[in-house]
Amino acid sequence: MTAALLRLLRSRLWKPSAEEEVSAELAFHLEMRTREYVAMGMSPAEAREQALRRFGDMARVERTCRATARRRDREMRRAEWFGELRQDATFAIRQLAKSPVFTAVAVVTLALGIGANTAIFSIVNGVLLRPLPYADPGRLVRVWPAVGPEQNAFSVLNFLDWREQATRSFSGMAAATGQTLNLTGEGEPERLRGAQVTANMFDVLGTRAVVGRTFVAGDDAAGAGRVAVLSTELWRRRFGGDSRVVGRTLRLNGEPFTVVGVAATGTGYPRTAELWVPFRFDSVTTDPTNRGAQYLSAVARLRRDVTAEAAKQETDAIAQRLAEQYPASNKQMTSSIIQPLHEQMVGDVRKALVAILGAVGLVLLIACANVANLMLVRATARETEVAVRAALGAGRGRIIRQFLTESLILSLAGATAGVVLASWLLRLVARFGPEDIPRLADVALDGRALGVTALVAVATGVVFGLIPALQSAAPDLARTLREGGRGVRSRAASARMRASLVVGELALAVMLLAGAGLMIRSFRQLLRVELGFEPERVVAFQTVLPDAKYDTVPKIRALTSAYQERLRTIPGASATAIALSVPMSGMGFFITIRHIDGFPDPAPGEGEASAIRSVGPGFFRALGIPLVRGRDFTDQDHGGAAKVAIVNRAAVRKFFKGQDPIGRRIEIGWGIGDGDRVGGEVVGIVGDVREDGVAEEAAPILYFPFDQAPPGGFTTVIKTAGATAPVLAAARAALRDLDPELPIYNVRTMEERVAESVAQPRFYTVLLGGFAAVALLLAAVGIYGVMSYSVGQRTGEIGVRMALGARPGDVQRLVVRQGMTLAIVGVAIGVAAALASGRVMASMLFGVKASDPVTFAAVLAVLSGAALLACWLPARRAARVDPMTALRAS
Amino acid sequence: MPPSAKPATELLHGTLDALILKTLTWGPRHGYAVARWIEEITDDALAIEEGSLYPALYRLERRGWIEAEWGVSDTGRRAKFYRLTRRGREQLQVETSQWTAFAAAVTKVLLAT
Repeated sequence: MTAALLRLLRSRLWKPSAEEEVSAELAFHLEMRTREYVAMGMSPAEAREQALRRFGDMARVERTCRATARRRDREMRRAEWFGELRQDATFAIRQLAKSPVFTAVAVVTLALGIGANTAIFSIVNGVLLRPLPYADPGRLVRVWPAVGPEQNAFSVLNFLDWREQATRSFSGMAAATGQTLNLTGEGEPERLRGAQVTANMFDVLGTRAVVGRTFVAGDDAAGAGRVAVLSTELWRRRFGGDSRVVGRTLRLNGEPFTVVGVAATGTGYPRTAELWVPFRFDSVTTDPTNRGAQYLSAVARLRRDVTAEAAKQETDAIAQRLAEQYPASNKQMTSSIIQPLHEQMVGDVRKALVAILGAVGLVLLIACANVANLMLVRATARETEVAVRAALGAGRGRIIRQFLTESLILSLAGATAGVVLASWLLRLVARFGPEDIPRLADVALDGRALGVTALVAVATGVVFGLIPALQSAAPDLARTLREGGRGVRSRAASARMRASLVVGELALAVMLLAGAGLMIRSFRQLLRVELGFEPERVVAFQTVLPDAKYDTVPKIRALTSAYQERLRTIPGASATAIALSVPMSGMGFFITIRHIDGFPDPAPGEGEASAIRSVGPGFFRALGIPLVRGRDFTDQDHGGAAKVAIVNRAAVRKFFKGQDPIGRRIEIGWGIGDGDRVGGEVVGIVGDVREDGVAEEAAPILYFPFDQAPPGGFTTVIKTAGATAPVLAAARAALRDLDPELPIYNVRTMEERVAESVAQPRFYTVLLGGFAAVALLLAAVGIYGVMSYSVGQRTGEIGVRMALGARPGDVQRLVVRQGMTLAIVGVAIGVAAALASGRVMASMLFGVKASDPVTFAAVLAVLSGAALLACWLPARRAARVDPMTALRAS
Repeated sequence: MPPSAKPATELLHGTLDALILKTLTWGPRHGYAVARWIEEITDDALAIEEGSLYPALYRLERRGWIEAEWGVSDTGRRAKFYRLTRRGREQLQVETSQWTAFAAAVTKVLLAT
């Protein structure tokens, strides 16, 4: 009986391979058949032969069966595997749902780390790393003539000479200058940001037209037909992307221009231009006396076998040659600067962006440390569960897979949330980011960045999540079950790891906070810099007088005089004026000085360059620029009266060598207004103004009365006493009344313009501040988690202490002290690290040292406060422990 | 009974499956038993080619219509026993109705005058 049972059991439990299975089965059949034939009277050998014959090709039968058996086994295994996976996933989700706080914190932490990093890396990639959209962009360079190490702009004649002579290094050289172009004649008049470029610009860049053509040689010759190339953005925005725009005539600045084509997106130079017109090489621009008027920027394409250094040697030589030939204008420009175009565009922001990248990397580290901590805490909490499952026979592999699934689901949830966060952040940045960070607007979510970041975060989650499973291999299950936890030694190790993670987090958080704090202080310093004028409650807008309609000076004067009259009658305007431009408008006009009383005249074509402004009476008052000596311009300084001028303090220092300029005559070259030379007797000195941006030095400026040198466009400046809107409306109405075709644009307050010039530092400050805040939060959560868990584990110990007479206050103090010890260590390390890496920050700071004590003190205070709070909450819980329950539970 | 002198009738591929499934409705059997059972029920009119039987059995097992378990035959030897699954039962119904419809159609044609 038992023998039979044993045999049955053995067969049941037999797990053969496919080969063994098939062989055994067929052998059995053969045997049975043979027996049957033997029973019918055949000899065993004959019987066997007959039986075999009934199979036919035995080998083939075996093969077929084996193949099917193998396939069957494979499919079964796969189904089993998927079944288990689904089980694991369901179980994992249920486990995660059972501790919602843990899950939420982990997911949010991961999302923050992954999202922020992906966004920043995408920005860095889009701005810095992406190659420029030109043909062979590595060969494109910016070229400047230089005075020593300082860049200058090209004058027309200098550019032409360079282009002619630098043929060994460059296969092509092109120049550009910005020009605002008024579009009138159809619909709303609009001022467009345009550029005048030499006809070979698009060829040098290697960009094509999307529709029509770009410029060809001859488009910039004197007398050539007026043509224009549109940017894709303008084409889509204003002309609906209609390809029939080619051949249309547009009225730009009153003149008819024929559209010949549309340039591909993002491929024009300068990048901010909305459309391009050819530069006109005519008698005016190529006048030899104007070699000193420098306003062109140049781009060149290096020949294939020429490096930038080799090119510089040639251009240096050219510069020196020209300096000798034309000492008047070129005397000091004996060197040149060549910079790869990509570098020039992004070089300014590279350091800052890399610093930001470093900062956000720290955030990721902190996030990972937090997740690791969370997992470790959870691990210890589930030791018992693991032990029980192992005791019940769950294979180690299965348990590991279970925990792996849990970690993966958590990490994936975090990563998904991170992607959402990243795209949202990118959209914010694209809309509100500073305009002078190149290519910021078309930054897209970078797949690689996401992949790498997610990988890091997921790996952390997985590694630390696996620890409880790996520890299930520990053989001491019985003791675990009995003691409700692992041995003292391993628990201490785990606690040490958690503590070091928290310390690390804190150190990183200190670094971020210090960085942000320094940026904030630096930014405030920036804002406090002396502007030289008062931007409060000043509003300005621009308009342009088209050449065709206002082709004579009297016509310009007629309009401007009438307009100024009207402006003065506007109620609510405490001061009004018109001028060529206002500070921080980004418009620079330079001229050569021909003569100053009391100083030797420079030779024709020589002379120092200075910035000039054409301003009407009341300009200085409207902007709050102080009049240091002498008088302001008045209505008496009109076109027919004696010519006058006003200079600023920097001009006095530079051109008058500190001597008193009042009463002396100064004359400048390049005709604007009557005749060729303009000049006047200096009648006043005004204060310096920071024209180009808050961090730039004040430059010398010569001011001339608007009426004596009326330009073809002006800015209206109004200081309002009260509400801005009605005053602005009145001013616009006044202008419209006089000529409805004049476009009014760039309507902004001076405060806005000032703000724009600090847009970049503000952007970085906001970013860093955001990261620091996140880091602080995460670090605080980290400390809280560790302390909270520690308290939970030690309820028994606390109970004993309290039973032995410790008061709640003592327990609280104990917990807080332990927590703060961690904090102090972490902060100390962080401060040391922050000070050590001060050099990285130094270049981004203004007016603040990288070791600024005020900042560090503040950081210490904030972090200590946060740490204290994070310890205090669990401490309170510890103090409320009821000794009796605690002792009973342990 | 001596081996039949009648030639084995050609079986359509699918019908062998149906026959096996039906055989197993009488309880679990090993491969040899299935072959013998069919031979006995049909009075040896159908002699299964073992060359097709076993591939069919493995095929049916792979599709989940029958399941197998190793056990001990009544001769005390280890043998692989097959059993009908629920899905196999359903499949058998399908095959049966298909076959009867087919047979009825063929009969109609052959007996038409």
